[in-house]
Amino acid sequence: MARIRFDNVTKRYGNVVAVEGLDLEIRDKEFVVLLGPSGCGKTTTLNMIAGLEELTEGDIYFDDQIVNFMPPHKRDAAMVFQSYALYPHKSVYENIAFGLRMRRFDQTEIDRRVRDAAKRLEIEHLLKRRPSQLSGGQRQRVALGRAMVRQPAVFLMDEPLSNLDAVLRISMRAEIKQLHQSMKTTFVYVTHDQAEALTLADRIVVMNLGLVQQIGTADEIYEQPLNMFVASFLGSPPINYIEGRIEEVGDEVRFRRESIKLRFPPHMAKRLAGQNGREMVLGIRPEDVIENIPPVEGESLHGHVNFVLPVGSDQYLNMRAGGVELFFRVGKEVRHANDEDVALAININRLHVFDKETQTSLLYQD
Amino acid sequence: MKNIAHTRNPLSSDKERYRTKSRLSERGRAMFIFVCSVLLLAYLLAPITWLVSSSFQTEAEIVSVPPHWIPEEPTTKNFEAIFFQEQKEVTYESRKQVDPVSGGYIPSTAKNLLPALRNSFVVACLVVIFNLLVGVPAAYAMAKIRFLGRNSSVYFILTTRVIPDIALVVPFFLVIKNLGLLDNILSLVLTYLAVTVPFTVFILISYFESLPDELDKAARVDGCSRFRTMTHVYLPLALPSLVAVVLFTFLTSWNEFLLALMFTQTPASQTVPIIVASFTSDFTISFSFINAAGVVAIIPPIIIAIMFEKYIVSGLTVGAVKG
Repeated sequence: MARIRFDNVTKRYGNVVAVEGLDLEIRDKEFVVLLGPSGCGKTTTLNMIAGLEELTEGDIYFDDQIVNFMPPHKRDAAMVFQSYALYPHKSVYENIAFGLRMRRFDQTEIDRRVRDAAKRLEIEHLLKRRPSQLSGGQRQRVALGRAMVRQPAVFLMDEPLSNLDAVLRISMRAEIKQLHQSMKTTFVYVTHDQAEALTLADRIVVMNLGLVQQIGTADEIYEQPLNMFVASFLGSPPINYIEGRIEEVGDEVRFRRESIKLRFPPHMAKRLAGQNGREMVLGIRPEDVIENIPPVEGESLHGHVNFVLPVGSDQYLNMRAGGVELFFRVGKEVRHANDEDVALAININRLHVFDKETQTSLLYQD
Repeated sequence: MKNIAHTRNPLSSDKERYRTKSRLSERGRAMFIFVCSVLLLAYLLAPITWLVSSSFQTEAEIVSVPPHWIPEEPTTKNFEAIFFQEQKEVTYESRKQVDPVSGGYIPSTAKNLLPALRNSFVVACLVVIFNLLVGVPAAYAMAKIRFLGRNSSVYFILTTRVIPDIALVVPFFLVIKNLGLLDNILSLVLTYLAVTVPFTVFILISYFESLPDELDKAARVDGCSRFRTMTHVYLPLALPSLVAVVLFTFLTSWNEFLLALMFTQTPASQTVPIIVASFTSDFTISFSFINAAGVVAIIPPIIIAIMFEKYIVSGLTVGAVKG
């Protein structure tokens, strides 16, 4: 069992702040993904859990025990690295067995666990090889095996799939998910790949510039982003932003920018009421277009198609509306062409509204 | 049709000319490399060949013109004198009875060569062992552990290497004298360590830094303390650089002359270079004996080099990280 708690944790390297004031509780057996761009502090956070980095301020708890000064080899955590970090002078068998040997396990037990893990990861035939004789995917499996055999309380993964090709990455993603379900242990996974985060995580911690931006389930993070960074970091193609202002006309609350007029649905209008004229940024995800219904005034965007990008299952439209360039994903039922005028019905229930200055959500931020 | 059949295609003749030219230039290049290699090999091997050859020659043959690369009357007298000599006192009177032109005489200090070999070997081995004991942890710490003053420590260690040995002789002498270690092989061990450890640390830091940090992290998460990470992961991977360190420190200790001359006075602590040098200040110089001593002196370093030759390989880290 392992519950991990960060209590106001800060990590600085000289004057550079890597992580600032981190408060986070990772529940036992939970799969938490730390998501963010390079340099956001996610790997530093993972290293602090492993004991590979010392804290500048704050405390880390494993269950109810403070582990700030506990060295890595005394923490019950296993880690998989982006570069695999296999020991090049040892065979695959010895690589997997190394952690057990260091913990002075009985040879019979070591052998049993290594062979079990190898069987599960389908690398039994590779046990005698050296890491240099393996492909990227095989090395990744060995790295997973090395962590698995320890049966640790906490399983840490630092971008373990980022060196694999796209197809292998998807299949390994599924295997990691299965591994979590079968091992029933706490997983902390670091990635900058939103797809990995969305598919794997019980909860996602979005980080930027050393600060936690939002913690929540994949749906919460995607549907109710608390700020513009979170909204734009998740979603591909990224969310469209249109600067404008709030306009109240009678009972109606609307977004207004030049010719664009979008009516907010009642639950949003309630939150935005009384702010007539406030500068804001409207967020529309590319897929939030309702097809097969005629565009209605106040719920549609009129614009000019710059170009169309067919992407197999869908088509992407790059269009200009209200003086800004927007990107939408639409189906293939209606074929669009370059340089045509279009009117797209927008799913107004899924609009996002942010304050222009603070960039925080006016809908979901308390 | 007939005309056409006899006309040579200008394009194909150009191709042929080009092929011939490139074949010739390739041959010329190969020949040039071969000649250079032979010259280099001759330059490197000639002194050693002469050393070995002349150690089996008499004094008269050694000075013959032209020199004999292959001894006409080979003799093992010099080696017998080194390994099986009778302990008889050599005096001016007894030496006078030997004809220096035809050779056949042995320097008065010849009996000191075997003890000197032992001294040199003991000193070199101790210096190698202590270098590894001190240098490996120091280099690992400086390469892989972030601590306050890390960079200054590295620079400080490196600056000690730019001080010439001659400038260190007097301070060393005072320290050794105060420690009461004059004429003791420990004085050599201590001073050689001061000279070689910075270089050892420097070599190993560079090597450890080239090994991925993730290995360090992986080992520590896998259950190794810092010390075990160093011994179980970094040391096996650092074998090529350890071999370089062993060779460097062994040879430095084996060849060192200046400090040994200062701190040793009797055969009890004198090393091979000092004893071999003493052969030139005897009643008469015996070149063939000195060369025989030289042959004996180069055997241990050669054995060490042959022993470790198979470890002088790189590429052990292949496959450690992504690729």
